Amino acid sequence: MTHGARSSRTISAEGISRVEGEGSLRVRVQDGRVVDVALDIFEPPRCLAMEDACGVVVDERIEALRRLLYCGEWIQSHALHIYLLHAPDFLGCADAVELADLDPIGVTRGLDIKRTGNLVMQTVGGRAVHPVNVRVGGFYRSPELDSIRALAEPLRRARDAALETVEWVAGFEFPDVTSEYRFVALDQSDRYAIDGGRPSLDGHTLSAAQFAEIAVEEHVERSTALHAKLDGRDRYLTGPLARFALNASRLPEVARDAAAAAGLYAPCVNPFRSIVVRAVELVFACDEALRLVERYEPPVQPAIEVVARAATGTATTEAPRGLLLHQYDIDDDGIIRRARIMPPTSQNQLSIEDDLRRVVENGLSLDDEELQWRCEQAVRNHDPCISCAAHFLDLTVETS
Amino acid sequence: MIDTRTAKVVVAGFGSEYRHDDGVGTLVAERAVAQVSTSHFVGSLSDPLDLLGEWNGADLVIVVDAIHSGAPVGTLQTIEIDVENLSCTALDAESGAGESSTHGLGLVAVLRLARAINQAPRRLVIIGIEGERFDLGEGLSASVEAAVPEAVARVVEFIKEAQSCA
Repeated sequence: MTHGARSSRTISAEGISRVEGEGSLRVRVQDGRVVDVALDIFEPPRCLAMEDACGVVVDERIEALRRLLYCGEWIQSHALHIYLLHAPDFLGCADAVELADLDPIGVTRGLDIKRTGNLVMQTVGGRAVHPVNVRVGGFYRSPELDSIRALAEPLRRARDAALETVEWVAGFEFPDVTSEYRFVALDQSDRYAIDGGRPSLDGHTLSAAQFAEIAVEEHVERSTALHAKLDGRDRYLTGPLARFALNASRLPEVARDAAAAAGLYAPCVNPFRSIVVRAVELVFACDEALRLVERYEPPVQPAIEVVARAATGTATTEAPRGLLLHQYDIDDDGIIRRARIMPPTSQNQLSIEDDLRRVVENGLSLDDEELQWRCEQAVRNHDPCISCAAHFLDLTVETS
Repeated sequence: MIDTRTAKVVVAGFGSEYRHDDGVGTLVAERAVAQVSTSHFVGSLSDPLDLLGEWNGADLVIVVDAIHSGAPVGTLQTIEIDVENLSCTALDAESGAGESSTHGLGLVAVLRLARAINQAPRRLVIIGIEGERFDLGEGLSASVEAAVPEAVARVVEFIKEAQSCA
């Protein structure tokens, strides 16, 4: 929708879905140059799953089971985002329902992959969403060997479907936009990090606690979401693009080959191609889950004993959307006295705004409707979790 | 135990038992299915997309969920969705059931999607129970607890009706 005179364009994109929450985008253009971009979020992101912050070292079997649970979450989340939320952007469809009309076989494939992720979550975590089998120190109950082994066949099928997914999304048309990112992702020397490792940036790694000190979140008056900056100054990006940029060489061969066949090489700095990176990560998550399933041995004890003590614990994991940091002050009774949760969206916020600036600068020749569509895509590229509302974007372009 | 012929009936409970009255959907669905063993329970769901694959080929799907509409606590509401002629109904606008987000799709959007890929059930009924408390914690509030038997009876009635027509 366009309001106002030519010198001051106002484009409203109300009623937009496929992004989590309620927000608005305001762009000011002066002499053909974007001078101000603000993505406002009116509701803080929902908390992701609680992660152990007690500094407890679990044994390898419990660790493997946790990693398997995370793989299930990645499979579930990436399949959903690729097929139902992001792909419609590239195929001219308003939503997943239109896409299902256009390509029912493709959408069915995506839903089958997602269901396999659910099955993994259900089997390990006790439920497909908000797992109830997870506890500090491990799990309440170890899954039976047979139930884990039964995941192998669905995971093989899901891996094949994920490979088809890479091929499918690689064929999309991508706007020629590149951004400059300061990437942050977890680093684990022997694997593509998901559930452990140290935050890595600028070629070196930090402990989770050190990262918590330099990643400073700020309140911004126009938004209820916190905005994270490094050293209170610099924007940075977490999530698939960051993980792929820093850890691509640690992907298994099947995922590396799929990326190469799709013409995807690290680092990828075109945010619109994040859908291809997600698809490659989908192959990885299925393959990794299969590897863990084939080697599964039930933990001797489902959880190790954790004795409460007054301490501060910090932990980082790679949620599908990006780095997730939890930090807790715990007293002698195990009561949490202070909690800090820094989700991916607050960390990516400033980079998303910078992407928008580039997209608008490159797209000033587009008409309002096309520019609006392109901006919405630019936000969805990073799969932000703003909240549970549906209408998120009120785009205002002011030209003077 | 009731001996019935086998119309496929899926009873889906939505909500979390760790958020007080939000757990009533799953509780009611479980209890109803326990009374009619030929029906199939799914829960505790939070994402309507997870109905896909569970409701394929179903003659009837009953979704049970806590609602927050401003009606007196414990009030039951029954909404039947016209699966065949589904269009942009008031349900989308008023309840948000048709919305989608980065975490999933609303129930109506999922139904439309299911129709597009030939996985929609023949009939869909939603039974809502007005809740009072949705904060963290277990246990239902008294008025919601008191409404459970009637809600279970209503679900059972739908199951029996579907199975007697099969």
